[in-house]
Parts: sequence; C-alpha cells; structure tokens
Amino acid sequence: MKGDERGFRVALVTDELLNPPPGGLDALAVLEEEDWGVIQLPASDHPEEVVSALLDQVAEQTEEFARHGYRLAIVGRYDGLADALARHEVAPPPQFDPASVEDLRSFLSTGDG
Amino acid sequence: MAGVAFVAHCLLNQNAKVDGGARTAGVYSPLVEELRAHGWRIEQMPCPELAFTGLHRFWAVKEQLDTTAFRRHCRRIAQAVASAIEAHTERGDDVVLVGLEGSPTMGVCVTSSDGELGGRPAWPEGSSELAPGRGIYIEELAAELAERGLPMPRAMGISHQLPDHDPAAERAALAELLGA
Repeated sequence: MKGDERGFRVALVTDELLNPPPGGLDALAVLEEEDWGVIQLPASDHPEEVVSALLDQVAEQTEEFARHGYRLAIVGRYDGLADALARHEVAPPPQFDPASVEDLRSFLSTGDG
Repeated sequence: MAGVAFVAHCLLNQNAKVDGGARTAGVYSPLVEELRAHGWRIEQMPCPELAFTGLHRFWAVKEQLDTTAFRRHCRRIAQAVASAIEAHTERGDDVVLVGLEGSPTMGVCVTSSDGELGGRPAWPEGSSELAPGRGIYIEELAAELAERGLPMPRAMGISHQLPDHDPAAERAALAELLGA
C-alpha cells in the first residue's frame, strides 16, 4: 500500500447511534471527528431477510479489514453480529455501548477500541 | 415526509477505497453535513468491490470488473438494498441515492471505461478512464428495482475523485437533490 488519507480505523455502528433521535447520542459525529471510518449495522426495522443479507456483507467486509490489520471496534449492542462475524472466522472486536459523547471519545482513544 | 439517503459505502468509510483513493481518514464530511442539515436519515450501502476484490485491489475500469461473477455479487447486494428501498417507499419515505462519480461500480452519471486495459497494470501518463454512464452495481440496482416495478430514486454521485471536482457545486447539487 502506497498510502493515502485513510485512518486505518473502522467502527461497526448500530443504526440507532448513526441515525439518532433528536437529542440522542450522535456516534457518527464523534467517529468523524476522531478520524474513524464507519460500517453501519443494518436497521432492525428492515425485513428479516434484508437484515440477514446486509449483516452478511458487514461480516465479509469486516473480515477484509481484520485480515489487513485495521483497528476495529463495535459501537452499540447488536444481536446476531457475533454469530455473523464467527461465520467469517472474525474474532469480535472490542465493543462499547456509550452513554455519552465523552464515553465514546474515551473508548476510542484508550486503545480498547 | 421522512427522507432516507442510500449512500455509497466509502462515503462513510474511506478505508474501503482502493489504495490512493481515500480523501479523508474516515467519513466524507460534506455529505454528512448536508444530510444532517436537512434532516435526512442515512443508509449505507455495502461496497461491492471491497469484499470481492479486496483492500489491495488495483484501480480498475468497468470492463475489468464486468464479469458474470461480479455482476452476480452486485445483484445479491442490490436485492437486499432494493428490499430496503421498497420498505421505505411503502412507508411513504422520500428516498435518494448518492453514489460516487468515476467509480466502475458506484458511478451514477460518470463511470470509468477503457476496453484496452488489461494484463500487467500500466497507466499511460495523462490518460483518462472517465466515461459517461453508470457503474456496474448501480446498473444492477436499477435493474433490480425495475423488475420490482419500483422507480430509480433521484440520484447523484459525489465527485471528489474527478479532476474538475468543485466542492461548492457538489454541495449545491446535494442540497438540490435533498429538496432544499
């Protein structure tokens, strides 16, 4: 790799934290400021077969980043993600369910994320 | 009416770009700022190239990726995305699509094309592979929607990898797409 502007950090983020309700925690804004890329986890209100297909894509893409040593993290709780990752032989990255912007910043900066 | 923007994967994750293509560390901020400013919900589409050809892929033109296997891969992704678009449409949501101009897969109005490229990678200095047209994934998504009797959403492509990229014009086009 010759290099470009990428940060080599990718967060898997729940839809609720990426599209927060008014007044909710906007994880996308924090991740943007902290130079992380984002993979959105499928919204739970989609039909089950859509969630399953999109989750499989998330796992495939995560496997590619993991294989090349990118730093990975899961932001929020998501049922079924660990199983999807396991099907692609990806160990679950550090996971954090932030209660505040400061919480999330701390998680991202400590090296746990 | 709620607005939902289906956006190319790399616009939220520049780490997915081909080597040399990332313009930011992670998120392409101008797009997110426009969507947030106008109250649009974000739905990230999977990157067809990332899982299929990997992070160490070469830059490629449309003809190099245009195989039955890659189209099948794109169609599988497009079926899931089309179902999500269909669900939003049935709820009465306004749906738009934001791709990436110049991309062999995600181009909306500009893709990359050169029928002569192949073999050992070599790009003659000054050559341009840009060409009018859609990328392969966008073609497959349009076909999938058409088969379901659904219209193609209003769409545009982010142009930050084009040589004549104009950030102000891009922001204005985004605002127009979002109905501002």
